[in-house]
Amino acid sequence: MTRTRKISAIIAIGLAASLALAGCTKKNEDTASAGAGTTAASDTAAASDTAAASDTAAASDTAAASDTAAASDTAAASDTAAASDTAGSAAGGAPVKASKNFKIAFVPKLQGIPYFEAMNAGGEKAAKDLGVQWLYQGPTTADAAQQAQIARSFIQQKVDALFVAPNDPNSMAPVLKQADAAGIKVGTSDTDAPDSVRQIFVEQASTEGIGTALTEQLMKAMGGKGKYAIVSCGETAENLNSWIKVQKQVAADKYPDAELVDVVYAGEDQGKATSMATDLMNAHPDLTGLVGECTSSAPGVAQAVKDAGKIGTVFTVGLGTPLSMAPYLKDGSSSASILWDVQGLGYLTVWAGVQLAEGTEIAAKPQVSADLKDVSYDAASKTLLLGPPLVLTKDNVGDFNY
Amino acid sequence: MSSPTTLEDPGADPTAAAPRARGRVLAPPVTGQEVVLIGVIAVVWILLWIFTPAFMTPGSLQPLLVDVAPVALIGIGMTMIIITGGIDISVGGAIMVCAVSTAKMLVSLNFSIWMALLISIVIGGVLGLINGLLIAYGRVHAIIITFGTANLFQFIGLQIFHSSTVNGIPGTLASLGRGVDGRSFGVPHSFLITVVLAAIAWWYLRHTAGGRHFFAIGGDEVAARLAGVRVQRRVLLAYLITGLLIGIASLFYIAKGTSTLDQSVGAGRELAVIAAVVIGGTSIMGGRGSVLGTVLGALLVQTVTSGVTQLGWPSQLSDLFVGLAIIVAVGADLIRQRARRTA
Repeated sequence: MTRTRKISAIIAIGLAASLALAGCTKKNEDTASAGAGTTAASDTAAASDTAAASDTAAASDTAAASDTAAASDTAAASDTAAASDTAGSAAGGAPVKASKNFKIAFVPKLQGIPYFEAMNAGGEKAAKDLGVQWLYQGPTTADAAQQAQIARSFIQQKVDALFVAPNDPNSMAPVLKQADAAGIKVGTSDTDAPDSVRQIFVEQASTEGIGTALTEQLMKAMGGKGKYAIVSCGETAENLNSWIKVQKQVAADKYPDAELVDVVYAGEDQGKATSMATDLMNAHPDLTGLVGECTSSAPGVAQAVKDAGKIGTVFTVGLGTPLSMAPYLKDGSSSASILWDVQGLGYLTVWAGVQLAEGTEIAAKPQVSADLKDVSYDAASKTLLLGPPLVLTKDNVGDFNY
Repeated sequence: MSSPTTLEDPGADPTAAAPRARGRVLAPPVTGQEVVLIGVIAVVWILLWIFTPAFMTPGSLQPLLVDVAPVALIGIGMTMIIITGGIDISVGGAIMVCAVSTAKMLVSLNFSIWMALLISIVIGGVLGLINGLLIAYGRVHAIIITFGTANLFQFIGLQIFHSSTVNGIPGTLASLGRGVDGRSFGVPHSFLITVVLAAIAWWYLRHTAGGRHFFAIGGDEVAARLAGVRVQRRVLLAYLITGLLIGIASLFYIAKGTSTLDQSVGAGRELAVIAAVVIGGTSIMGGRGSVLGTVLGALLVQTVTSGVTQLGWPSQLSDLFVGLAIIVAVGADLIRQRARRTA
């Protein structure tokens, strides 16, 4: 009896140890390749492009971990491949190579979510086109402290340009100051830190553009009138709140017969967004419109409409990524999804980093690449704008693979 | 609030209901806290009915029950764990591993619902077994072990996600979801499964010697051991059962979600489940509790959450109400305990 117990105890401990070990080694490998993986991707990409062969050599001597880099997933390579067909071949615009193999680093809000991975793919593509190194690493939870730590490690690596999409602009400001003091060019991308020393903000689409597009698309589906509600995500998320403000303004100005009945906050939780959308439809039986304000609530509200059997009665729009919205756009539970070219945003971030590192002035209508035609720069606010938002419908949603 | 006040129903009289000798030590089938809970739920439902008439319609109640199902289902296992004096805070991570593995396989292999169920239950069972072995034989407190495994499971889950969402999940599990396919005679299947399993667990914990051992362990582990209870086996069983139930509940989560599964699956579920168990009157110190209470607790939490949205109140208020309910429930438990000690 005691013997069997002892044996099972040993088995248990052994199992735990091996699991923990497997976990640790995998994790190390993972973080290592996350640090160097991006250079690896540009290596493989560059290798496939004979014209850029000289860059490969330069890249591999600075990348200390070229062997782990080799291990870094083939998915990254296929991503870049995929990126080149959606982002299109920039060959037409013939991107101007950087004068040096600059190191351009980006710290996303969160690593491992499709949105930032798509940005990463665009960044890798740009790094290849422009002949620079792209370093991409972010926290595993949307945590400001962890993000600041990663930014500091990039400062220690003496990158040439550091971009951040801050989770908390206020706590990121001192880190950006530290980077600036170390002679690193600093910028923000995707989300701004307005009261910081950042020298540029790469903006995906203007607040007005997104807010207006959301309201216009919703009203188009609802016939310009009726009751609607918004399922937002983080209650303190600055970008979401400013979009909502614009949505309210546009609706008030142009659609007096439309009434916003409620704004609820589901966090970044898809399940909760679906439940809340269901509750809203029950509370307001005459509701005809729902807005999913972020990438987790956009499919959530569409699913709620589908489950309630109200396709065609309740219309939804939202900010959702193409792959997650495709089934809903096709069955009509979602009328339109507003987004921007996420890969293009990553591309533009690298381009902006090169301009900063070179010290060149950015024109009001800069020539970036053949695909990024609508980029504009506002010198007063130091904001580089990607262009008007992208409206995804059932007709064009199949063109995107993220 | 003490128990003998619940004897309106003659069947509830312990001496009448249980002719066998051990009936004497059994608490009445419905304890004081459960009666209070039923009362609170009834009052809240009636209030919601008055203020938002749409609340009492099938269109509102069916999704509510679908949302209750996974929390209550995992709550059955969690009740057993907490009765033994343990706890499991790795539930969220375990759900993530089960859900993402099953969803990925559904996308690539497109097998039947039964195969999905089998796979999810096996994965859940393995994760539960890991927790159970470490806690029963490792002799470290459950909160430490499951805190460790929570991180481990989360890591495994994220690895399987591989930096992207799972897209294009087929409608194989629609019979467990929120839509028309998900119910028979107006009752959601997922809730029905939960009720059946809860009833079995209720009977097992209450009327079998094996079931009573869980209470003995939570009451006094050393005494239970001396009385011949195989403590480690029972403890292991509690975590294993929880793992198996997580496997089933993960299918509910996939089914009631969208055709896209993202990393938020399972996040924070451990707290929702523990809240349901504690509000249901199970003592967090172990030794006392019931599955019926847990199901009611889950129902109350979801009613409050839905109700707040339907009333158009700010969403944070639901956190406030759930928080208050937990404090009241734990407070009531402590008062009862003190009364018992002085008696």
